[in-house]
Formats: sequence, structure tokens, C-alpha cells
Amino acid sequence: MNAVDATDRGATQQDIEPPSLLTIILDTNPHAWALLVDSLPLSKAVANLLVFINAHVAINHANRVAVIASHSERAEWLYPTPAQTGHEHGQANGSTHDGGDEEMEDGDSAGKGGAVQPPDDANKYRPFAQLEHALVNNLRKLMSSTTTSAISTSPSTMLAGALTRALAYISKQTAALPTATTSTQFNYSDPSSMAGGNELTTDPTKAHTAQGLTSRILILSVSGDLADKYIEIMNSIFACQRLSIPIDVLKLAGDPVFLQQAADTTGGIYMSLSTPQARAGLLQYLMFAYLPDQTARENLTMPGESEGVDFRAACFCHKRIVDIGFVCSICLSIFCEPLADGTCLLCGSHLSMANYGRNPVVVPKKKKVGKGKKRALDSGAGTPMGSGGEGTPAPG
Amino acid sequence: MTSTASQRALDYLEQLPGTTFTKLYQQPSTALAIFRRMLPHLAKTLVMAMLYMPTPFSVSDLETWVKPDHESLQARDRALSILQRLRILFDTHDEAGRAAYKLSDAFARSLRLALTGGGKHKSFGVPCSTPDKTPVSIDYLDTFARKQWEAILYYVVGSASAGLGAEVDISAGTKQLLQKGSFVAMRGRVPHITQAGFTFLLQEINAQIWTLLIVYLEVSSSLQMDPVDVLSFLFTLGSLELGISYSTSNLTPTQQQMLEDLADFGLVYRRTSDANRYYPTRLATTLTSDAPALPNSSLTSTTTTSGQGANDSAQQNEKGYIIVETNYRLYAYTSSPLPISILSLFSTLHTRYPNLITAKITKSSIQSAIAAGITSDQIITYLTTHAHPILRRQQPVLPPTVVDQIRLWQIEGERMTAWRGYLIRDVGSAEEYEKAVAYAEALGVLRKEFKAKGSFFVTRMDQMSAYFKSQALRKREMNAQREAEAKGGGASAAKR
Repeated sequence: MNAVDATDRGATQQDIEPPSLLTIILDTNPHAWALLVDSLPLSKAVANLLVFINAHVAINHANRVAVIASHSERAEWLYPTPAQTGHEHGQANGSTHDGGDEEMEDGDSAGKGGAVQPPDDANKYRPFAQLEHALVNNLRKLMSSTTTSAISTSPSTMLAGALTRALAYISKQTAALPTATTSTQFNYSDPSSMAGGNELTTDPTKAHTAQGLTSRILILSVSGDLADKYIEIMNSIFACQRLSIPIDVLKLAGDPVFLQQAADTTGGIYMSLSTPQARAGLLQYLMFAYLPDQTARENLTMPGESEGVDFRAACFCHKRIVDIGFVCSICLSIFCEPLADGTCLLCGSHLSMANYGRNPVVVPKKKKVGKGKKRALDSGAGTPMGSGGEGTPAPG
Repeated sequence: MTSTASQRALDYLEQLPGTTFTKLYQQPSTALAIFRRMLPHLAKTLVMAMLYMPTPFSVSDLETWVKPDHESLQARDRALSILQRLRILFDTHDEAGRAAYKLSDAFARSLRLALTGGGKHKSFGVPCSTPDKTPVSIDYLDTFARKQWEAILYYVVGSASAGLGAEVDISAGTKQLLQKGSFVAMRGRVPHITQAGFTFLLQEINAQIWTLLIVYLEVSSSLQMDPVDVLSFLFTLGSLELGISYSTSNLTPTQQQMLEDLADFGLVYRRTSDANRYYPTRLATTLTSDAPALPNSSLTSTTTTSGQGANDSAQQNEKGYIIVETNYRLYAYTSSPLPISILSLFSTLHTRYPNLITAKITKSSIQSAIAAGITSDQIITYLTTHAHPILRRQQPVLPPTVVDQIRLWQIEGERMTAWRGYLIRDVGSAEEYEKAVAYAEALGVLRKEFKAKGSFFVTRMDQMSAYFKSQALRKREMNAQREAEAKGGGASAAKR
């Protein structure tokens, strides 16, 4: 009689994993790759990346992939190919882009709609061939359209633009699929998404677990200094955290400050391949540490979890990375030095700092973000300093 | 993937001899298809992690990689078990002499080839170099596939209620195949549906195809067709692209012969039986994926379309058209005779409107279905598979009262269930017994445990005996007693 039991009713075959969307941000900053040319040239890295992408697609037929190049002066789609390519120059400023309105071609139709068909090859699985063809073509186009003047003017990379594009794409894809029970923030409760969900499958087991797309972002980073886009990057990171999208970071060169924070905040994996030997094993690192999606990660111990994270922030005024700074008590923006006229650069509040310069009350230094002196004073309110009134700004 | 469809294929593959696997894994398309379709998620992750690993993966490393909680360990054991059953993973030793795992060479090589491309295997299908004079549209292929496949279903269901079906006649070969698979049994000259036939009918379409193909595989080996050839062609078909014509030039004679049969099922389309190009239909291209096997193009027309013939309702069929209420009433948005006749197998039909029928699930209707050999689980799965989107919005999909009552109605009639399996007893100390039971449970082979008697009943023995052997090796002084005592092989009955 134990077959009729309310407990086993919903539990049947919960183990079908949801499809996952992997968005890869490839840092194509020419300066940084030029430095790496001895140990890992870009061509080799892309070849490794393609195998990794194929492996991801092979795991589940519903798995999807998107690749964005974070180039020196703009962020550009590598895969899927954007349908209209006419506005390339309109998007030169990658950090503020238009929210992913461009029509992306679907994985299925990419081959047919695209300009060039991959050569028919009986030795290659067609989806893989199409994906590789599109990606390599777009990358080539991107490289050939890069002018020397563009390279010389911007030594950095448009990571913030790439991240926002990735986020826009992910939310669009998630909206196209049924709502996932796990990500409650995405509350697309319109009936059309329901119909779309039904379209996905007829398998009863899939219907059991209301499934959505689990998304993650992988940043393959080579550039160092990202401080000039600090605010944009941090905002993207917090958006990812809200949407529970882990950001995995594989750092091939450069200093890790913000990306390490990104991985830490969003629960992603951070690894740094700083030696040539480690870079030679790029593919194995990708396959072992970065291939498992969220479903598999529930069962696996993931690497790089216990490393100390550098929580330093960049100031809003000069984009310097600071250990100790000044924080506006209204909008919490960070400054590296006291403001000349006591007016916050961002919110315009008038701030006064009566006791600045004196030896502060000794508070044990914490390594938290933007632990400024002003805050230290405020937290010491119990002392005879009477700082309670002084920290409060007059309305500006 | 643990859907019923791949489970069927998995069961079939497992009983193949090891040499067949080695031959099968020579084809990258086969390696890719098996990887994608047959393996549980953790196993895929594991295979991919090991694929480019130069040295064997030591057991202790794997143990540290997988989280130590109960669920993860179970997932790991299951993954390893399936990988070993499919001869993908082997036990070996690393250079330090510790126990380790390595991938089958043939499998790893083929999967790497599949990922990177290259080689000269041509296992992903040779597309026709010249364009077809009159290209075949995808719509046409879908219609063709549906017509062929529904003809088979009509034949099976038509044998349940006479006077139905027989719109399209199916070939004699297919009829024979359905008999061989005992989906229908001939009584005199009239086919009658069997219990296996009901099971077949109530499955989702991808599972139906696999069920039929596995029968085909079994029959083909008796016709001197090489099962490796047949299987690898099926897996190749799964990796082809819809709407593209492929050349028959590089197919083996066996595969040429198969094309004809597959065209009968609606898996491939050929204009004439000697044409040198063939088009895979959606039935074929979705063989190794979970995508719906027949298309459901129009999103919005789920519920509101009035009946426009069988085609239209087949789309609804895919999308789900049944609403079950807690008062056992059943509404089905369909006008096609095929789903109606399937529904009538286990419910009492009430009213028929142009696009809707109403029915009621009653005790007598369920019990007559059970008497005909349909099980309650089949009915429940069918209703769940074809549940209307409105029902899918809730969790669980079907009203629990109805589901439980259907099961209870079945249990009223049957008190005994028989399983074929093995009784393991005299395991040794209580601790060893506990461990063995836990292992069997993790593998998913444990049926029943008789704790007081210190024995338990499992459905499959090969892995258990391997487990006991390794245990015995560890404690070799008690070797003799600890050998697994396999008893049974015949039908043993366990009382619920």
C-alpha cells in the first residue's frame, strides 16, 4: 500500500537539470594580449574556448551560449551574431548602451540567416560548426575593424559595457522562457510566458519541475586596470547578485581587484592563471572548474572559495583604488581625499568635517569596503567627541 | 537524463557485449549522442573534466571533489555506476598505485573528435553537395513524419476499438515489427492491442520512437544486420539537421536497407526508394535530444482553435490539451479520433463538442482499463504528459485526489507484485550489512530490505557483486564467506 502516499507524488524525477545559458565575456584588449603572446596567444585561447563552448553545448541540447568581446573601445557581440550590423559605430561607447534592443538571431537560425554559411563538413556536428564559424568570423571582423588610433587612445577594456550587454541578454532570454521557481526576482507572470514554457517540452518530467534557464557569466580577463569604470562594474555586479547569476572569473593577467569581488559577491569562481605553465593548461582549467553549471555545482566542491578577497574600492573622484577613503553619509559615494568645498560630487549634499586631521578615536581597522575615517568617527559616538552632530550634513 | 525514452535505450545498450561498445564508440556522433542522452548530469560533468586530463583521475581526488553530503554521494555513485555500465569509465591505477578512474580510450578519442571536429569518420552525415531540384520544406517533412507515425499509432489503437484508424495503411514490415514487439497480438486475422501496446500508446512520442526502434534493433540482429551499424546510424540521424538533404553515398548496405524501414516510420523522407538523397524528419533529429519530436509551431492556438482535422489536434496533443478537475471530470480540447480513443480507454466519455470532449474518470472506467492491462501509472503519466498549460501552472500538475484514487483503484485489484531479482543474505557483520544496503540504495537497485533476517533484495546483481568483490579484497581473510551469494535468477516474489 505504500505506493499511494502523498509524499512521493511530487518527488518523481526531479533530477532533470534545467538548461543553462553561459555568457562568456572575452577580454580582447590588444595591449594585454600582446603581453601574453609568448605563453598564450589569443588564437590559442580562442581555440581552447571553442572546445569549452562545444562541451557546454554538448551537455544539454537546450544549453545556450553567448559570447561578447570586451574590446578596447567598445563591447561587441561575437555570438550570436546581431541581426543588424549597421549601428556598430553608434555603439562606440560601450558602457552606456541601449539595453539589448537589437534582435539576436537564434542559435538555430544563425547559420541560415547569417551572411556566410559554414562549409558543409561531415566530420563535424553542425551546431558546433555553425557556432565556431560565427564566432571566429565575428572576431576577425572585430579585429580588422580596430584602428590603430583606437588602440593607442584606450589601453583598457570595455568590461562594464560587456557586462551590461550580457545582463540584458540574459534577462531577455530568461523572459522568453517560463519563470523559474528559483529566481523569484524574475516575476514575469504574464500568460504568454506560460505558453512559451509549454512549448519547450512535452516531457512530463520537465513539467514537474517548473524550470527556467539558469544563467551564468564567465569573464576571461587579461586587462588590469578597470578602475575608471568602477561604478558601472559594481552596479552590474550587484545586478547579477540580485538575479542570482554567478560571475565566474578566469584571470590570465592583470591585477584582480574588482573581478575577485565580483566572483565573491555573486558566488562565482575566481581563479588566476598567472604563470605560463598554468596558462598552458587553460583548457583543463576551463573543463574542470568552469564547466559545471549551477546544478552540478550543488554536488561539487568548487575551487578558489577560500582565498582572501581584496575588497578595496575605487574612489569616485579620481578613480584611484583606496584602502581608506571618505564616504558621503547621504549617498555613500567614496572619495580619496576630503572635498574642497564640503559638497558631495554626486548628490550635492553639504558635508562638514569638523574633526578631520586630529588623531581619531582608535577603532580597530577593518578591511571592509570604503571604511572611511568619517565613519570611524561616527561609530565612535559613545566617546566624548560628541561627533553626533558634526557628521550630519546640513541640507545642501 | 532519466526520461523513460532514454531509459529504454539505456537498458538495451547495457546488455550489449563490451566489444560492441568499443566498435560503437569509434563513431564521434555515437559518443556524443550517448554522452548527451544517456548520462546523468554529474556524469557528464565528470566525463568532461576527465576528457583532457593526461593522467587517470584518482578515486581520492574524486572523493574530495564531490561534496560529502548524502545527496551528492548518491549522485556520484549513480553517475559512476552508469558510466561503468556503459563501458565509458574504467577502474585503473595511477602512477602512485592508488585506485583511479580513466575513460575508455575509444570513447574519449571520439568525444574529443566530436568537440573539436576533424578526422575522416563522416559520422555526422554527408550533406548532398548539389541542391535538390525541388527542395522539400520543413513543413512538408513534419506533415510526412506525423502522417507516418500516426498511422502506426492508429493501427495500434485501432486494434483496441475496431472501426477506428486505418486511414493510412502501414507497411507489412511495420505490422510485423509491432507484432514482434508484442504491441499487438494477432487473434485470427484481427490485431488486438496488448498490455505492451497500451504502454507504448501512452508514452510521449520520443519514448514511443525509441521503444519501436529498440524492437527494430532486436529484430535486425536476427536478420544478419550488424547492430553496431544500425545503432550508429540511429545516433548519426540524431545529429543531423532538419531541412537538409543528406547523401546516401557513404552508407553501408545495412544502413541503406534501414533507410527504407525508417521511411516507413516517418523518421526519414525519401522521394523514391532508390533516391540518392534523404531528408531526416523531426522524429529523427530529436532522437538524441529532449526537444519535442513533433513541432508545435503556433503558440497561441493551444486551446481556442476549433477542430481542423487531425493535424491541428496533433499539435494540441503535443502542447497538452487535457484538464482534470478534482471532481474527476476531464475536459480535452481535441477533435481528433486518436486522442479521443485513447482517452476512452480509461474514462467514460460524456459530451462531444466541435473542439472539446468532456469525460469522467470513474471507478468502473479505470478498472476496465486495468483489466485490459493498463496500469495506473501509465494513465497518470499520460494525463501529466498531455496536461493543459493551465494545469501545468500548479504543482503537482494533476489534482492529488485523482492521482491517489486512480492508484487506489488499481491496488484494490492487485495485492502482489513480482520482480525478477536477486536475494542477498549472509552479508556478515551488521555494519557491513548496513553499508551494502546503503550502496544498493545509492545505485537504485534496492527493492526491499528484510532487516530482521539480514537479507535484502536487489534487481540487478553485476554491480553488487563487484562491490562485494572489492569488499572481500579488503578483508581477504573472510573471503569465502563474504563472496556475494547470488541467489535467484528465477522469479522471486516480494510482498508489498
